[in-house]
Amino acid sequence: MSAHTEVRVRPRFGRGRLAMLGFVVPALVIYLLMVIVPSLQTLQLSLTDWDGISDGYDYVGIRNYEDIVASGRFWNAVRNTLILGLGSAVVINVISLAVALMLDRLNHAQGFFRTAVYLPALVSAFIMATIWKYLLNYNFGSVNTVLRDMGLPEWARDWLGDSSIVIWVILFITCFTLGGNTTLIYLANLQSVPQELLEAARIDGASGVKVFWNVTWPMIAGAVTVNMTLAMIAGWVIFDQVLVLTSGGPGFVSETMAFFIYKVGFGEYRAGFGSAAAVVLFLVVIVSTVAANAYMRKREIQA
Amino acid sequence: MHNAMTRTARSRLLLVTAGLATSALALAGCAGGSGDDAAESGETTTIRFLYATGDETWNAVVDKVVAAFNEQSDTTEVKLDPLPAGSDYATALKTVDATGNWPAVVDMRDTLTYVNAGKLAPVPDEVTALLEPDAFAPAEDGNVYTVPYSALNGELGMNIVYNKTYFEEHDLEVPETYDDFIDLLDEIKANGDVPLATAAAEVWPSDQLWKPLAAPTFAEFSDEGGFWNAAAAGEASVADLKAPLEELKNIMDNYVLEGWQSTADAQTTTLLVNEQAVMATSSAGLGRLMDINKVDPDFDAGLFIIPDEDGKLNVLKNSVIGDTAGGLAISSQAAENEDEYASAVEFLTYFYSVDAANLMEESGWISPNILQGDEVTRNDTIPGASDFFALLENPNLVWYENAPTLSTFSSVNTFFRQSRIEMQDGQTSIDETIAKVQAELDAQVAAAG
Repeated sequence: MSAHTEVRVRPRFGRGRLAMLGFVVPALVIYLLMVIVPSLQTLQLSLTDWDGISDGYDYVGIRNYEDIVASGRFWNAVRNTLILGLGSAVVINVISLAVALMLDRLNHAQGFFRTAVYLPALVSAFIMATIWKYLLNYNFGSVNTVLRDMGLPEWARDWLGDSSIVIWVILFITCFTLGGNTTLIYLANLQSVPQELLEAARIDGASGVKVFWNVTWPMIAGAVTVNMTLAMIAGWVIFDQVLVLTSGGPGFVSETMAFFIYKVGFGEYRAGFGSAAAVVLFLVVIVSTVAANAYMRKREIQA
Repeated sequence: MHNAMTRTARSRLLLVTAGLATSALALAGCAGGSGDDAAESGETTTIRFLYATGDETWNAVVDKVVAAFNEQSDTTEVKLDPLPAGSDYATALKTVDATGNWPAVVDMRDTLTYVNAGKLAPVPDEVTALLEPDAFAPAEDGNVYTVPYSALNGELGMNIVYNKTYFEEHDLEVPETYDDFIDLLDEIKANGDVPLATAAAEVWPSDQLWKPLAAPTFAEFSDEGGFWNAAAAGEASVADLKAPLEELKNIMDNYVLEGWQSTADAQTTTLLVNEQAVMATSSAGLGRLMDINKVDPDFDAGLFIIPDEDGKLNVLKNSVIGDTAGGLAISSQAAENEDEYASAVEFLTYFYSVDAANLMEESGWISPNILQGDEVTRNDTIPGASDFFALLENPNLVWYENAPTLSTFSSVNTFFRQSRIEMQDGQTSIDETIAKVQAELDAQVAAAG
């Protein structure tokens, strides 16, 4: 009987697996050709002097990596990427959590406010950055015009041209764009916190702050991990905003790693060098994300 | 049992075939596109014309000439493929190359780089035969790869445009020497006005003030193959540019309207017309006067070139072939398709006709040097145009050459522009800028082999 079952089940299982494979293969082939193979090719190109246009190139060993490490411009881009990656992750999560807590407590028109909070996330980063570029224009922008009309001309700044603040302005605009999804994830998790736990804490005399820190915060630890990770990754690869708002300027001051890769690879005909920078960016993203994730997972377990 | 196994094998085969077919279809979908237009339109071949926007006059010229061409052609339709203003066109062009989807006709930058990479097809004799012989030149392999999109006046269009009414009201005159220019800036500043508006948001407009200041130094190397070739050979160095860099820094610190770092090139027209500055930098020559006239027909604009200490007007006029030479080209990708190549040639043939030249002149563009130039109706109705044409007759006008042959010069040039802006902004000193640009030049010379 058992032998019979084995004989009859195996072909069915095999057919099912083949069918599944048949459905997966098209997407897998495309993914391999469009993502994995080019990614691996980046490793190879990073060891060459390819200009990105010519058919031929020469291998130059690790010279591109040596040049990157010795380049002040690259380290400035790393610094900016860290500011935008970590900064946007922290700011977005703090604001999104605060907004989600407020939305969670709303008794009326929650749908309306939820939509209003999410709306900026529906606008592409490119379009949003273009709008901000007009708003922040030094001579014609609404922000400076309002400041001047309010009798505060000394507050008017070249928001996108002042090298001392420009990266913080980009951080502000990035946070404005990316908050919608984060808020919704927090809201979903807040609404799944068991009411009986919250009520029990309140009955025991815990204040609102204590209830949050001792009940809500541990219960949404998983959401914090997910949101921080997603926000950091989004921050590491910021490109559109920089391209539209400043083109990395003035000079090189607001270049991020992603923009640096684009600029040297495409604008300066140094695809080999740009590939090496892309490999370094990949390592930075992997190491920092895994480290941050490990720390937050540990916190989840403790919670 | 045998039947069951056969069915299983057939099923597997079908599944695998279905998977592969779906993949192939999906990939074919990704790759398709280039020949679709031609196939759909029957006898008419559709080609694309890639060009840089940003200069309103050039945009108008392209629109008018292409519309007129399409109207009279039974075999070809040209579709415009404009790359947006605000982006670095050379970088965007490289991105187009990366997609592997080249338009048939391209407004080129960094030409030599693309010629060396085999991305451009030779322009045939039937097109070059329409041009004056000195309006084009063959590359090292004997082929002509670019043909001009405007008259060969070099960088004569790199001017200071100014408010003539203001000059008259304050009894100011166009400077005849560099010292006069600085005095002029001082006088305007003493009146409580901002002397000069300039732009650096797109990086390349930073050349508009820099090049006239550096021109006397560049001109010294004209007979030796140009400054950059001398620098690449070690016979000159970036430190030779210290004096013009100091002049640039002085002007930026003392006379330029705030916010230049984030100001786009096209905005300087508005700043001038709104009287937020008395003068503005430009690289569009007659086109900028046309733009000003469109924005405010009553604005009385003039233009001049910043003279050197001896009163000479040093203007770059490179060979028509070389990395710095722009122009219209036919892509190699288009040349692989007989119809597309024929259509590109047909369009260029029209581009160099008297009809097209008249359309260009009407738009405020100085048409290319065609053999039938005598039949073209020149447009001297644009306010200030006489200033531009007078430059061509100015006895102090000195043409110089500075065409780099270094295959990696595009990298150096982009880096130098950004480094200059960094220095102008006060992030680095002049000496630091010189050192880092020299290091970049050395690295690129080594990379070029």
